[in-house]
Amino acid sequence: MDPARTLGPAQIDVLAQLFVSTILLGGIYALIAVGLTLIFGIMRVVNFAHGEFLMLGMYLAFWSFALYGLDPYLVLVAAIPLFFLTGLVTYALVMKGVIRASHNVQIFTTVGLSIALQNLALVLWTGDFRFVRPWHASVILRVGASAFNLSQVVAFAVAVAFTIGLFAFMKWTHAGRVMRATAQDRDAATLMGIDTDRVYRLTFAIGIACVGVAGVLVSPLYSVYPTAGLQFVLLAYVVVVLGGLGDMVGALLGSVIVASVEVVGSYVVGSAWKEVLYFLLFIAVLVFRPAGLFGQRGAENLGV
Amino acid sequence: MKKHAGAIVLFAVAALTPLVIRGGFFLDSLVIILLWGAISAAWNVAGGYAGQVSLGHAAFFGIGAYAAALVSARWQQSPWLGLLVGMLVSVAAGLIIGYLSNRLRGPYFALSTIAFSQVLLIVASRWRGFTAGSEGIPVPFRPGFWTLGLGHVAWVYVALALAVVYYLVEVYLERSRIGYQLAGVREDEEAAEALGIASRRLKVFAIALSAALTSIGGSLWAQYIGFVDPFYVFSVDLSVRFALHTIIGGMGVALGPFLGAALITALETSLRAHFSGIKGGYVGLYLVTYGVILILVVRFVPEGLAGLAARVRTRTIRAHA
Repeated sequence: MDPARTLGPAQIDVLAQLFVSTILLGGIYALIAVGLTLIFGIMRVVNFAHGEFLMLGMYLAFWSFALYGLDPYLVLVAAIPLFFLTGLVTYALVMKGVIRASHNVQIFTTVGLSIALQNLALVLWTGDFRFVRPWHASVILRVGASAFNLSQVVAFAVAVAFTIGLFAFMKWTHAGRVMRATAQDRDAATLMGIDTDRVYRLTFAIGIACVGVAGVLVSPLYSVYPTAGLQFVLLAYVVVVLGGLGDMVGALLGSVIVASVEVVGSYVVGSAWKEVLYFLLFIAVLVFRPAGLFGQRGAENLGV
Repeated sequence: MKKHAGAIVLFAVAALTPLVIRGGFFLDSLVIILLWGAISAAWNVAGGYAGQVSLGHAAFFGIGAYAAALVSARWQQSPWLGLLVGMLVSVAAGLIIGYLSNRLRGPYFALSTIAFSQVLLIVASRWRGFTAGSEGIPVPFRPGFWTLGLGHVAWVYVALALAVVYYLVEVYLERSRIGYQLAGVREDEEAAEALGIASRRLKVFAIALSAALTSIGGSLWAQYIGFVDPFYVFSVDLSVRFALHTIIGGMGVALGPFLGAALITALETSLRAHFSGIKGGYVGLYLVTYGVILILVVRFVPEGLAGLAARVRTRTIRAHA
């Protein structure tokens, strides 16, 4: 038997390690999910192309590193305005025309965007797996008996800082208030003189900036390839539905739950089967509490 | 009859093609178009007629493909038997998914169907003892109808038969009582229920029927292609593909999926042939194109090609009147 699984002081160490890994992973998932849930909460659109922007972020980090030797965390500074702009352009070209269309039109618009972006990456950069390995990716930190990688810690710290920044923005700025008002009642907001089109544009750009930044952050930890976004975005759906679509605090809790299922799951049933666990969890939530663990009941039946 | 002129022409051309053209390449494209068209028609039963837009139909396709491949490769039995087994398993899966996702609408329903197909993908690619895992299963070629080891010409007629039957199923759904009830549920579930329609049961029925039809298509596809790869047969891409054909051709229109499949497959084949000589990465270019086409179609022609044809016709009639 695996010595780590027998009872004894070693088990405490295992628990500590699992706990730390869960928190680190959860922070990163949160940043991906927060953008998705923001876009859904305000625009009422599930962005099926969300993962592709993550992938673009990973490629941005890869090319800056491969061509200019730039550290992904330096690239971050450029990534924020770059992805904000990408969001604005995508909104103007693709999303603007379907914002008031039916669910089907919206679903397949973003699905089409996802197919186009994925394969654009394939055409431009081939399907090879690429790696970004700056110096900090191989630095191992040890606290007590648990070990983790420096890139992971930085990614976590930045993701958390970013998420907190977004919360503060939503709560205390005028733009944030306007966005929340639009989320609550689109028509009432329009009647109060809010230019909802501008709100949607801003929302989409912020959501894309979040996920683009997340892509840059995770690049030292995972391999980069055209469909790299898919696994993350499937996770993000689980997170976002768990927390209640559109609920930002819910997304944070959902991230931690999914990360813990992933970490504990890979420890208990092996990494090959851990994904089954979170999809089953996902289905269970959809079936029993489609509004999310913390959301309002019936949200899935309303105009969403 | 006039309403079905398009379908009659399409199927007649398909039936006559093997008499004129013997080239393997064209016949192969034809078989693929008919199979994709039929499977997309199966998707249309749930997505178009019942309004249950699924992005997880690869689940049923994969079950059918695996059932036929396992029965013929592992147990040396007829793939027709596998087709039947796959169909039954898919109906069971469809009932479960339909029942569990019953309350969900729009994006929630789409997400739950993705989750189901992902679970099956993981099971198929990891359960090495039963499915041979991520290696996939090569399907043995044993000549004969009973073993589905057929030449291209015979395959054209098998695929055509499937396409015609599925078309008729769609037409039945347009005309029958149950079809009208489904349309009612699709357009306004509360209103339909108020009129005494058992909407939940109807939606589950539509998904189970769609699952059975999709699964049969998957079984035939596996026998035709000769290889089952879990990462393809259960992929989100494939699910999207079925939906895409139908949307481009026309959702809730019997001929729509076939038009969409013909257009997309022809586009794919020609772009592939055109770009394959240049550089490996360019195979993706046709997919970029179809992503863009999808965005444009749902935006500007949400009723699809079939709907567009109807719109043009009405306009000409008006112009002449």
